[in-house]
Amino acid sequence: MMQSAIRLFGKRNTVLAAALAAAAIYGGPGAAHHSFAMFDPAKLLTVTGTVKDFQWVNPHVVLWVYAAPKDGAAPELWTIELTSPGNLTRVGWTRHSVGPGDKVAVEIAPLRNGGHGGGFRKLTLIDSGKVLTSEFKDQERPGLQ
Amino acid sequence: MTGQTRKQFLFEKRRRPPCGNQKTFPYLNAALSFFYRFVGNNKEVKVFCFFCSKKKCLPSLALLLQLTPAAASDARLPDWSGTWVPNITDQNKRITTDPVPWTASAARQIAKMQAEEKAGHPRGLFVNCLPEGMPSWMLISHNALEILFSPGRVTLLGESDGNRLRRIYTDGRSHPPDPDPSFHGDSIGHWEGDTLVVDTIGVIPQSYVAISEAVGLPNNGDLHVIEKLHLAGPDTLHDDLQIIAPHVLSRPWNTTRIYYRQRARKYEIVEGVCLQGSFNGGTDKDGNAVFVPVPQEDGNPKPP
Repeated sequence: MMQSAIRLFGKRNTVLAAALAAAAIYGGPGAAHHSFAMFDPAKLLTVTGTVKDFQWVNPHVVLWVYAAPKDGAAPELWTIELTSPGNLTRVGWTRHSVGPGDKVAVEIAPLRNGGHGGGFRKLTLIDSGKVLTSEFKDQERPGLQ
Repeated sequence: MTGQTRKQFLFEKRRRPPCGNQKTFPYLNAALSFFYRFVGNNKEVKVFCFFCSKKKCLPSLALLLQLTPAAASDARLPDWSGTWVPNITDQNKRITTDPVPWTASAARQIAKMQAEEKAGHPRGLFVNCLPEGMPSWMLISHNALEILFSPGRVTLLGESDGNRLRRIYTDGRSHPPDPDPSFHGDSIGHWEGDTLVVDTIGVIPQSYVAISEAVGLPNNGDLHVIEKLHLAGPDTLHDDLQIIAPHVLSRPWNTTRIYYRQRARKYEIVEGVCLQGSFNGGTDKDGNAVFVPVPQEDGNPKPP
Protein backbone atom coordinates (compact mmCIF):
# COMPACT_ATOMS: atom_id res chain seq x y z
CA MET A 1 0.00 0.00 0.00
CA MET A 2 2.36 2.62 -1.21
CA GLN A 3 0.24 5.75 -1.41
CA SER A 4 3.15 7.74 -2.63
CA ALA A 5 2.88 11.22 -3.96
CA ILE A 6 5.12 14.18 -4.42
CA ARG A 7 3.11 17.30 -3.92
CA LEU A 8 4.27 20.80 -4.69
CA PHE A 9 3.03 23.42 -2.32
CA GLY A 10 -0.03 25.14 -3.75
CA LYS A 11 -0.25 28.81 -4.67
CA ARG A 12 -1.93 29.69 -1.42
CA ASN A 13 1.25 28.72 0.35
CA THR A 14 3.46 30.95 -1.75
CA VAL A 15 3.68 33.59 0.98
CA LEU A 16 4.63 30.97 3.56
CA ALA A 17 7.20 29.51 1.20
CA ALA A 18 8.71 32.94 0.53
CA ALA A 19 8.94 33.62 4.27
CA LEU A 20 10.64 30.26 4.84
CA ALA A 21 12.98 30.98 1.95
CA ALA A 22 13.99 34.29 3.48
CA ALA A 23 14.65 32.59 6.80
CA ALA A 24 16.67 29.83 5.20
CA ILE A 25 18.97 31.72 2.84
CA TYR A 26 21.99 30.92 4.97
CA GLY A 27 20.39 28.61 7.49
CA GLY A 28 19.62 25.22 6.09
CA PRO A 29 19.26 22.51 8.68
CA GLY A 30 22.43 23.63 10.42
CA ALA A 31 25.34 21.49 9.46
CA ALA A 32 28.90 22.48 8.79
CA HIS A 33 30.07 20.74 5.69
CA HIS A 34 28.48 22.21 2.62
CA SER A 35 26.13 25.06 1.95
CA PHE A 36 22.47 24.16 1.67
CA ALA A 37 22.02 26.72 -1.09
CA MET A 38 21.80 23.97 -3.71
CA PHE A 39 18.40 23.25 -2.20
CA ASP A 40 15.54 25.54 -3.10
CA PRO A 41 13.55 26.62 -0.02
CA ALA A 42 11.08 28.47 -2.26
CA LYS A 43 9.80 25.23 -3.76
CA LEU A 44 9.08 23.03 -0.79
CA LEU A 45 8.09 19.48 -1.68
CA THR A 46 6.58 16.73 0.36
CA VAL A 47 8.04 13.34 -0.50
CA THR A 48 5.70 10.60 0.68
CA GLY A 49 6.85 7.01 0.60
CA THR A 50 8.74 4.23 2.33
CA VAL A 51 12.12 4.56 3.99
CA LYS A 52 14.88 2.52 2.38
CA ASP A 53 17.62 3.52 4.80
CA PHE A 54 18.41 6.05 7.52
CA GLN A 55 22.15 6.70 7.37
CA TRP A 56 23.11 8.09 10.79
CA VAL A 57 26.56 9.51 9.95
CA ASN A 58 28.57 12.71 9.83
CA PRO A 59 28.69 15.21 8.40
CA HIS A 60 25.06 14.83 7.24
CA VAL A 61 22.52 12.23 8.24
CA VAL A 62 20.83 10.94 5.09
CA LEU A 63 17.30 9.60 4.74
CA TRP A 64 16.72 7.43 1.66
CA VAL A 65 13.05 7.24 0.68
CA TYR A 66 11.26 5.36 -2.12
CA ALA A 67 8.48 7.56 -3.46
CA ALA A 68 6.39 7.21 -6.60
CA PRO A 69 5.93 10.37 -8.69
CA LYS A 70 2.22 9.54 -8.92
CA ASP A 71 -0.11 6.79 -7.74
CA GLY A 72 0.61 3.54 -9.50
CA ALA A 73 3.96 4.65 -10.90
CA ALA A 74 7.21 2.90 -10.09
CA PRO A 75 8.80 4.30 -6.91
CA GLU A 76 11.95 6.40 -7.26
CA LEU A 77 14.71 6.78 -4.70
CA TRP A 78 15.15 10.17 -2.99
CA THR A 79 18.15 11.23 -0.88
CA ILE A 80 17.28 13.71 1.83
CA GLU A 81 20.05 15.39 3.81
CA LEU A 82 19.73 16.39 7.44
CA THR A 83 22.20 17.96 9.88
CA SER A 84 24.76 15.92 11.88
CA PRO A 85 23.98 13.10 14.35
CA GLY A 86 25.21 15.34 17.21
CA ASN A 87 22.90 18.21 16.27
CA LEU A 88 19.94 15.86 15.73
CA THR A 89 20.51 14.17 19.10
CA ARG A 90 20.27 17.58 20.76
CA VAL A 91 16.81 18.18 19.32
CA GLY A 92 15.55 14.76 20.37
CA TRP A 93 16.38 12.41 17.51
CA THR A 94 18.07 9.02 17.82
CA ARG A 95 19.42 6.69 15.14
CA HIS A 96 16.18 4.74 15.63
CA SER A 97 13.85 7.73 15.09
CA VAL A 98 13.04 6.39 11.65
CA GLY A 99 14.09 3.21 9.89
CA PRO A 100 13.72 0.98 6.84
CA GLY A 101 10.09 0.20 5.98
CA ASP A 102 8.62 3.20 7.81
CA LYS A 103 5.94 5.10 5.90
CA VAL A 104 6.90 8.77 5.93
CA ALA A 105 5.97 12.16 4.57
CA VAL A 106 9.10 14.32 4.38
CA GLU A 107 8.97 18.00 3.62
CA ILE A 108 12.12 19.02 1.75
CA ALA A 109 13.70 21.93 -0.06
CA PRO A 110 14.46 20.11 -3.32
CA LEU A 111 17.72 20.18 -5.28
CA ARG A 112 17.63 23.09 -7.71
CA ASN A 113 19.11 20.91 -10.46
CA GLY A 114 16.00 18.74 -10.49
CA GLY A 115 17.71 15.68 -8.99
CA HIS A 116 15.85 13.45 -6.58
CA GLY A 117 17.32 14.97 -3.49
CA GLY A 118 16.67 17.71 -1.00
CA GLY A 119 17.41 19.44 2.26
CA PHE A 120 15.34 18.23 5.19
CA ARG A 121 12.59 20.40 6.71
CA LYS A 122 10.12 18.15 8.52
CA LEU A 123 9.33 14.45 8.88
CA THR A 124 5.93 12.93 9.64
CA LEU A 125 5.80 9.25 10.55
CA ILE A 126 2.52 8.30 8.90
CA ASP A 127 1.59 5.39 11.17
CA SER A 128 2.06 7.25 14.46
CA GLY A 129 1.53 10.82 13.27
CA LYS A 130 4.75 11.83 15.06
CA VAL A 131 6.44 14.92 13.64
CA LEU A 132 10.21 15.54 13.80
CA THR A 133 12.08 18.72 12.89
CA SER A 134 15.66 19.98 13.34
CA GLU A 135 15.63 23.72 13.84
CA PHE A 136 18.98 24.97 15.14
CA LYS A 137 17.53 28.31 16.23
CA ASP A 138 15.74 26.50 19.06
CA GLN A 139 19.16 25.73 20.55
CA GLU A 140 20.45 29.26 20.68
CA ARG A 141 20.12 29.83 24.40
CA PRO A 142 21.95 28.28 27.33
CA GLY A 143 20.83 25.72 29.88
CA LEU A 144 18.46 23.64 27.73
CA GLN A 145 17.21 20.27 28.96
CA MET B 1 83.77 2.93 49.13
CA THR B 2 83.18 1.01 45.95
CA GLY B 3 82.88 2.83 42.68
CA GLN B 4 82.95 6.22 44.32
CA THR B 5 85.88 8.29 45.38
CA ARG B 6 85.87 9.97 48.75
CA LYS B 7 85.79 13.32 46.94
CA GLN B 8 82.62 12.33 45.09
CA PHE B 9 81.05 11.13 48.34
CA LEU B 10 81.70 14.44 50.06
CA PHE B 11 80.36 16.31 47.06
CA GLU B 12 77.15 14.28 47.11
CA LYS B 13 76.81 14.83 50.85
CA ARG B 14 77.13 18.57 50.41
CA ARG B 15 74.45 18.46 47.74
CA ARG B 16 71.97 16.86 50.08
CA PRO B 17 70.84 19.57 52.47
CA PRO B 18 67.31 19.13 53.83
CA CYS B 19 66.12 21.94 51.62
CA GLY B 20 66.49 23.45 48.20
CA ASN B 21 63.88 23.86 45.57
CA GLN B 22 62.50 20.44 46.44
CA LYS B 23 61.15 21.82 49.68
CA THR B 24 58.27 24.05 48.71
CA PHE B 25 56.25 24.62 51.89
CA PRO B 26 52.92 23.34 50.56
CA TYR B 27 50.67 24.83 53.27
CA LEU B 28 52.27 28.24 53.12
CA ASN B 29 52.14 28.24 49.34
CA ALA B 30 48.49 27.15 49.31
CA ALA B 31 47.59 29.99 51.67
CA LEU B 32 49.49 32.50 49.54
CA SER B 33 47.89 31.19 46.35
CA PHE B 34 44.47 31.64 47.91
CA PHE B 35 45.36 35.17 48.94
CA TYR B 36 46.67 36.08 45.50
CA ARG B 37 43.63 34.61 43.82
CA PHE B 38 41.49 36.66 46.14
CA VAL B 39 43.26 39.88 45.15
CA GLY B 40 42.99 38.93 41.49
CA ASN B 41 46.64 38.26 40.82
CA ASN B 42 46.89 35.30 38.50
CA LYS B 43 50.58 34.71 39.06
CA GLU B 44 52.19 31.59 40.41
CA VAL B 45 53.35 32.15 43.96
CA LYS B 46 56.07 30.01 45.41
CA VAL B 47 58.06 30.24 48.60
CA PHE B 48 61.37 28.46 48.38
CA CYS B 49 63.91 27.65 51.00
CA PHE B 50 65.86 30.74 51.88
CA PHE B 51 68.19 29.63 54.56
CA CYS B 52 69.13 26.19 55.57
CA SER B 53 71.32 24.39 57.96
CA LYS B 54 71.67 20.65 58.38
CA LYS B 55 68.41 20.35 60.28
CA LYS B 56 66.32 23.38 59.49
CA CYS B 57 64.99 25.08 56.46
CA LEU B 58 63.55 28.56 56.81
CA PRO B 59 61.12 29.90 54.22
CA SER B 60 62.22 32.84 52.23
CA LEU B 61 60.94 36.19 53.30
CA ALA B 62 60.90 37.29 49.71
CA LEU B 63 58.11 35.84 47.58
CA LEU B 64 59.15 34.61 44.20
CA LEU B 65 56.50 35.84 41.81
CA GLN B 66 57.01 33.80 38.72
CA LEU B 67 56.03 35.59 35.57
CA THR B 68 54.89 32.41 33.87
CA PRO B 69 51.12 31.81 33.97
CA ALA B 70 49.78 29.44 36.56
CA ALA B 71 50.29 25.99 35.15
CA ALA B 72 49.02 23.53 37.71
CA SER B 73 46.46 25.69 39.42
CA ASP B 74 43.20 24.66 37.76
CA ALA B 75 41.24 25.86 40.78
CA ARG B 76 42.03 29.42 39.78
CA LEU B 77 40.67 29.08 36.25
CA PRO B 78 37.09 29.92 35.33
CA ASP B 79 34.58 27.12 34.81
CA TRP B 80 34.24 26.52 31.07
CA SER B 81 32.95 22.96 31.39
CA GLY B 82 29.96 21.70 29.45
CA THR B 83 29.23 21.73 25.74
CA TRP B 84 29.42 25.04 23.86
CA VAL B 85 26.93 25.37 21.01
CA PRO B 86 27.54 28.16 18.48
CA ASN B 87 25.01 30.92 17.85
CA ILE B 88 24.52 30.34 14.13
CA THR B 89 21.97 33.12 13.72
CA ASP B 90 24.59 35.56 14.99
CA GLN B 91 27.27 34.09 12.67
CA ASN B 92 24.97 34.78 9.73
CA LYS B 93 23.99 38.23 10.94
CA ARG B 94 27.64 39.26 11.17
CA ILE B 95 28.12 38.67 7.44
CA THR B 96 26.53 42.11 7.13
CA THR B 97 27.18 43.68 10.55
CA ASP B 98 30.91 42.73 10.77
CA PRO B 99 31.91 43.03 7.11
CA VAL B 100 35.27 41.47 6.29
CA PRO B 101 37.84 44.06 5.11
CA TRP B 102 38.79 42.03 2.03
CA THR B 103 41.46 43.38 -0.28
CA ALA B 104 40.09 44.59 -3.62
CA SER B 105 41.09 41.40 -5.42
CA ALA B 106 39.69 39.20 -2.64
CA ALA B 107 36.44 41.20 -2.60
CA ARG B 108 35.92 40.50 -6.31
CA GLN B 109 36.30 36.75 -5.77
CA ILE B 110 34.01 36.83 -2.73
CA ALA B 111 31.30 38.72 -4.62
CA LYS B 112 31.37 36.03 -7.31
CA MET B 113 31.01 33.27 -4.70
CA GLN B 114 28.14 35.05 -2.98
CA ALA B 115 26.36 35.43 -6.30
CA GLU B 116 26.87 31.73 -7.05
CA GLU B 117 25.55 30.74 -3.64
CA LYS B 118 22.55 33.03 -3.99
CA ALA B 119 21.82 31.54 -7.40
CA GLY B 120 21.81 28.06 -5.87
CA HIS B 121 25.20 26.89 -7.13
CA PRO B 122 27.26 27.02 -3.93
CA ARG B 123 30.89 26.05 -4.22
CA GLY B 124 31.32 24.04 -1.03
CA LEU B 125 34.66 24.94 0.57
CA PHE B 126 34.76 21.94 2.88
CA VAL B 127 33.15 19.13 0.88
CA ASN B 128 36.52 17.36 0.66
CA CYS B 129 36.24 16.74 4.42
CA LEU B 130 39.57 18.37 5.22
CA PRO B 131 39.34 20.26 8.55
CA GLU B 132 37.83 23.72 8.52
CA GLY B 133 41.00 24.78 10.34
CA MET B 134 41.80 28.21 11.70
CA PRO B 135 40.12 30.62 11.72
CA SER B 136 37.09 29.10 9.95
CA TRP B 137 36.31 26.59 12.70
CA MET B 138 35.73 29.46 15.08
CA LEU B 139 33.95 31.61 12.46
CA ILE B 140 31.41 29.39 10.73
CA SER B 141 31.07 26.03 12.48
CA HIS B 142 27.54 24.85 13.11
CA ASN B 143 28.84 22.18 15.45
CA ALA B 144 29.44 22.19 19.18
CA LEU B 145 32.81 22.27 20.94
CA GLU B 146 34.19 21.59 24.40
CA ILE B 147 37.09 23.17 26.24
CA LEU B 148 39.39 21.13 28.46
CA PHE B 149 41.84 22.55 30.98
CA SER B 150 44.92 20.63 31.98
CA PRO B 151 48.14 21.91 33.53
CA GLY B 152 49.79 24.25 31.04
CA ARG B 153 47.27 23.52 28.29
CA VAL B 154 43.84 24.45 27.09
CA THR B 155 42.37 22.06 24.51
CA LEU B 156 39.43 22.75 22.21
CA LEU B 157 37.72 19.67 20.88
CA GLY B 158 35.08 19.95 18.20
CA GLU B 159 32.60 17.77 16.48
CA SER B 160 32.13 16.77 12.87
CA ASP B 161 35.31 16.67 10.89
CA GLY B 162 37.13 14.01 12.85
CA ASN B 163 40.34 15.85 13.57
CA ARG B 164 39.02 19.09 14.97
CA LEU B 165 41.36 19.88 17.80
CA ARG B 166 43.23 22.94 19.01
CA ARG B 167 46.06 22.66 21.52
CA ILE B 168 46.69 26.01 23.21
CA TYR B 169 49.80 25.98 25.40
CA THR B 170 49.50 28.16 28.49
CA ASP B 171 52.77 27.11 30.10
CA GLY B 172 54.58 30.30 29.22
CA ARG B 173 56.35 29.02 26.13
CA SER B 174 56.78 31.12 23.02
CA HIS B 175 56.05 30.06 19.45
CA PRO B 176 58.72 27.92 17.82
CA PRO B 177 60.75 30.05 15.40
CA ASP B 178 59.52 28.13 12.35
CA PRO B 179 56.53 25.93 13.19
CA ASP B 180 55.43 23.26 10.74
CA PRO B 181 52.32 24.70 9.10
CA SER B 182 49.09 22.97 10.15
CA PHE B 183 45.33 23.47 9.84
CA HIS B 184 45.05 24.79 13.40
CA GLY B 185 48.46 26.41 13.65
CA ASP B 186 50.67 26.87 16.69
CA SER B 187 48.74 28.40 19.58
CA ILE B 188 50.06 29.86 22.80
CA GLY B 189 47.84 31.42 25.42
CA HIS B 190 47.90 33.22 28.72
CA TRP B 191 45.30 34.28 31.23
CA GLU B 192 44.44 37.92 31.82
CA GLY B 193 42.11 37.55 34.76
CA ASP B 194 39.39 35.21 33.52
CA THR B 195 40.12 35.92 29.84
CA LEU B 196 42.19 33.47 27.82
CA VAL B 197 44.30 35.35 25.29
CA VAL B 198 45.40 33.09 22.43
CA ASP B 199 47.96 33.84 19.76
CA THR B 200 48.02 31.59 16.71
CA ILE B 201 50.52 31.44 13.85
CA GLY B 202 51.81 28.65 11.62
CA VAL B 203 48.53 28.00 9.80
CA ILE B 204 48.73 26.48 6.32
CA PRO B 205 48.05 28.98 3.51
CA GLN B 206 45.20 26.82 2.16
CA SER B 207 43.16 27.22 5.37
CA TYR B 208 40.15 29.39 4.62
CA VAL B 209 39.02 32.71 6.03
CA ALA B 210 35.37 31.78 5.50
CA ILE B 211 32.07 33.49 6.24
CA SER B 212 29.91 30.54 5.18
CA GLU B 213 30.39 27.00 3.91
CA ALA B 214 30.50 28.32 0.36
CA VAL B 215 32.04 31.79 0.73
CA GLY B 216 35.63 32.33 1.78
CA LEU B 217 39.21 32.46 0.54
CA PRO B 218 42.41 30.68 1.51
CA ASN B 219 44.42 32.91 3.85
CA ASN B 220 47.35 32.52 1.41
CA GLY B 221 50.00 32.69 4.14
CA ASP B 222 51.23 34.76 7.10
CA LEU B 223 47.95 34.30 8.98
CA HIS B 224 47.99 35.56 12.56
CA VAL B 225 44.97 35.20 14.84
CA ILE B 226 44.64 36.80 18.26
CA GLU B 227 41.67 35.71 20.34
CA LYS B 228 40.21 36.72 23.66
CA LEU B 229 37.95 34.01 25.03
CA HIS B 230 35.85 35.00 28.02
CA LEU B 231 32.48 34.46 29.64
CA ALA B 232 30.05 37.23 28.72
CA GLY B 233 27.41 35.72 31.03
CA PRO B 234 27.22 32.68 33.29
CA ASP B 235 26.63 30.37 30.29
CA THR B 236 27.66 32.53 27.34
CA LEU B 237 31.19 32.41 25.91
CA HIS B 238 32.56 35.04 23.58
CA ASP B 239 35.53 34.60 21.28
CA ASP B 240 36.73 38.06 20.30
CA LEU B 241 38.93 37.46 17.28
CA GLN B 242 41.41 39.65 15.50
CA ILE B 243 42.33 38.08 12.18
CA ILE B 244 45.44 39.33 10.42
CA ALA B 245 45.68 37.88 6.93
CA PRO B 246 47.77 40.34 4.89
CA HIS B 247 47.28 38.52 1.58
CA VAL B 248 43.47 38.67 1.60
CA LEU B 249 42.53 41.33 4.17
CA SER B 250 43.32 45.03 3.78
CA ARG B 251 43.53 45.44 7.57
CA PRO B 252 43.04 43.28 10.68
CA TRP B 253 39.47 42.07 10.98
CA ASN B 254 37.87 42.17 14.42
CA THR B 255 34.83 40.04 15.01
CA THR B 256 33.16 38.01 17.75
CA ARG B 257 31.62 34.57 17.89
CA ILE B 258 29.14 33.50 20.56
CA TYR B 259 28.64 30.08 22.16
CA TYR B 260 26.00 28.94 24.64
CA ARG B 261 26.70 26.40 27.37
CA GLN B 262 24.61 23.25 27.60
CA ARG B 263 25.01 20.75 30.40
CA ALA B 264 22.26 18.25 29.60
CA ARG B 265 23.73 14.89 28.64
CA LYS B 266 22.26 14.88 25.15
CA TYR B 267 24.45 17.90 24.34
CA GLU B 268 27.70 16.06 24.97
CA ILE B 269 30.10 16.01 22.04
CA VAL B 270 29.81 12.91 19.89
CA GLU B 271 32.30 11.42 17.46
CA GLY B 272 32.12 12.95 14.02
CA VAL B 273 34.11 11.54 11.15
CA CYS B 274 33.41 13.64 8.08
CA LEU B 275 34.43 11.02 5.53
CA GLN B 276 32.04 8.48 7.04
CA GLY B 277 29.26 10.18 5.11
CA SER B 278 30.92 9.08 1.89
CA PHE B 279 30.25 5.46 2.78
CA ASN B 280 27.39 3.25 3.82
CA GLY B 281 27.55 0.11 5.89
CA GLY B 282 27.59 -3.08 3.83
CA THR B 283 28.70 -6.73 3.87
CA ASP B 284 31.46 -8.29 1.80
CA LYS B 285 31.36 -11.80 0.29
CA ASP B 286 32.76 -13.30 3.50
CA GLY B 287 30.10 -11.68 5.65
CA ASN B 288 32.35 -8.96 7.08
CA ALA B 289 30.90 -5.55 7.92
CA VAL B 290 32.57 -3.16 5.50
CA PHE B 291 32.19 0.36 4.13
CA VAL B 292 30.69 0.72 0.68
CA PRO B 293 31.25 4.05 -1.09
CA VAL B 294 28.17 6.22 -1.65
CA PRO B 295 28.34 8.10 -4.98
CA GLN B 296 28.79 11.79 -4.22
CA GLU B 297 28.33 15.00 -6.16
CA ASP B 298 29.51 18.32 -4.71
CA GLY B 299 29.44 16.83 -1.22
CA ASN B 300 25.91 15.46 -1.54
CA PRO B 301 25.03 11.82 -1.89
CA LYS B 302 24.18 11.61 -5.57
CA PRO B 303 20.51 10.88 -6.12
CA PRO B 304 20.05 7.84 -8.35
